Amino acid sequence: MIRIVTLATYDEGDITHLSKTLYRSFGVGTEHVGDKALPKKAERPDGRFDAIKLLGDAPPVRAYSDDKVVYVTDKELAIPKGPLGEPPTWGYAEQGGSRALVSTFRFRPRGVTEASIEVFRRRLARESIHFIGHLWDLHHCYDARCAMHPSWSPSLPDDPEFELDAYCREKSERRVRLAKT
Amino acid sequence: MVTVGAVRTLGKRERADKQEEASSPVGNIASSADLKPGDRVVYPKQGVYRVTGLEQKDIAGQRLEFVKMTREEDGASVLVPLGKVATIGLRRVATADDIEGVFHYLGATYGDPELDWKVRHRDNVERLIAGGVLGVAEVVKGLHSLSRLRPLPAKERELYDSSRHLLVNEIAVALGVPEVIAEDYVDFALMPPSGVKLPLKTPPIPVELKGPPWKRKKPVVAEDDDLGLAELGIDLSALEGAAEGTAGTEESEEGEAEGAAPAAEDGDEEVEVVPATVVAKAPVAKAPVVKAPVVKAPVVKAPVQKAAVPRKAPAPPAKKPAAKATPVKKPTPRPTAKPAAKPAPRSAPKKKGPPAKKPAASRPVPPKKGAKPAKGKKK
Repeated sequence: MIRIVTLATYDEGDITHLSKTLYRSFGVGTEHVGDKALPKKAERPDGRFDAIKLLGDAPPVRAYSDDKVVYVTDKELAIPKGPLGEPPTWGYAEQGGSRALVSTFRFRPRGVTEASIEVFRRRLARESIHFIGHLWDLHHCYDARCAMHPSWSPSLPDDPEFELDAYCREKSERRVRLAKT
Repeated sequence: MVTVGAVRTLGKRERADKQEEASSPVGNIASSADLKPGDRVVYPKQGVYRVTGLEQKDIAGQRLEFVKMTREEDGASVLVPLGKVATIGLRRVATADDIEGVFHYLGATYGDPELDWKVRHRDNVERLIAGGVLGVAEVVKGLHSLSRLRPLPAKERELYDSSRHLLVNEIAVALGVPEVIAEDYVDFALMPPSGVKLPLKTPPIPVELKGPPWKRKKPVVAEDDDLGLAELGIDLSALEGAAEGTAGTEESEEGEAEGAAPAAEDGDEEVEVVPATVVAKAPVAKAPVVKAPVVKAPVVKAPVQKAAVPRKAPAPPAKKPAAKATPVKKPTPRPTAKPAAKPAPRSAPKKKGPPAKKPAASRPVPPKKGAKPAKGKKK
């Protein structure tokens, strides 16, 4: 089961759309647990939130062993600087683990028009699928049409697809089938 | 038969030698004495393991000693006989300096990927086994570059995914960061966001492996080049030679060129080029013989201008016309000279004597009857 936890206030329609999309993508039941408080300890001096620390301090949710929990926040995230610099981040996940974090900070503004709302929802769905994919032990994919393609890739279109490609879908389905529950 | 067997045995020996050589590049663990409980090692194509200690087991009446290791990723344990530690390619986890070099390698521009999938696959497997962390990065980079040209086939997609997994795992362990972030670093180097310029240094040179994949790769390319050029050289030169020769003796020259080509193929490239020139000059030597028909060419035009196309047709009808040839009056004196020029190239090896008689009668016929069958054939 996938449990969605919001660390900010989101429109109910957006969360409903996200639940339906996740269910369609992984074939696993999805529910919105509710809003939780954002752990302030994870905030860095520069105003951004340490992704690793934020996920570690996120309020726990009652879940079974194979459940996946996705936290959604609107704060800007930061990750440790790498040898070539700090890659921009849209979220964080425990590879093969059970908890993921998605940030909507870098999304286009939600706006009020149907088109802009649709774009926002699609992007939210895409990033959620991406980081839940990491929970199913998926790696990044070279196919720009796959949700597992890196979010900052120059070959990613403005309004990217939010589906997994055949290889990633098959791999995730295999993982889901092997889950005990 | 014997040679085939010999070649196979040599191949096996080479492979065995290669495996021994490949399993001992720099950084590998040479003996079990180098391992201590708590050490982190990389098992080629498996991942990062932590040595937990020594273990003794009775197997088939023998007491054997094993090194026990546990994979950090999923806790799977492996027992490696002490004697095998040096040969399976165990190595230490890469240092931070090594990892930095890996990122500079990943960020550097990549040349053309190997397009022969067999060579590519052998190289990739070899690199994963004995190339160290840079070898794994090389596999990832190579397949990633190839994936930009076209989608990877299923088998290579699997290899790409597993090598990426190994690389990410080792980087995560070496840098002490979670795997997802290590993967972000890798992809940040492989496909940086637009507008971002990476601070790249000179990438390290990948470990050059000694083994069939590398040894075969170079000669195969060289052979291909030689063969391709030689074949092209032969054909082109032969064609050019034929084209440069007299127009009326195309067939004869081609026949000679064909005869010269096989002889040239046995030799080297230079030898092949020579016959081509010889072919061009050969007709000059035969020019005296050919020149005669050239003079007759206008004669041929006189009887039938359309016959220029069905020139090849006259050969078959030449037999039948023998009876009807008598009616022809004008061409009789001239055809005698023609056969010397034309039949020679076509049936030079078969009939040289008879054409002198028959052609005399047959020459005139072809224009009349040779034209008819040609039409029939065309229809």
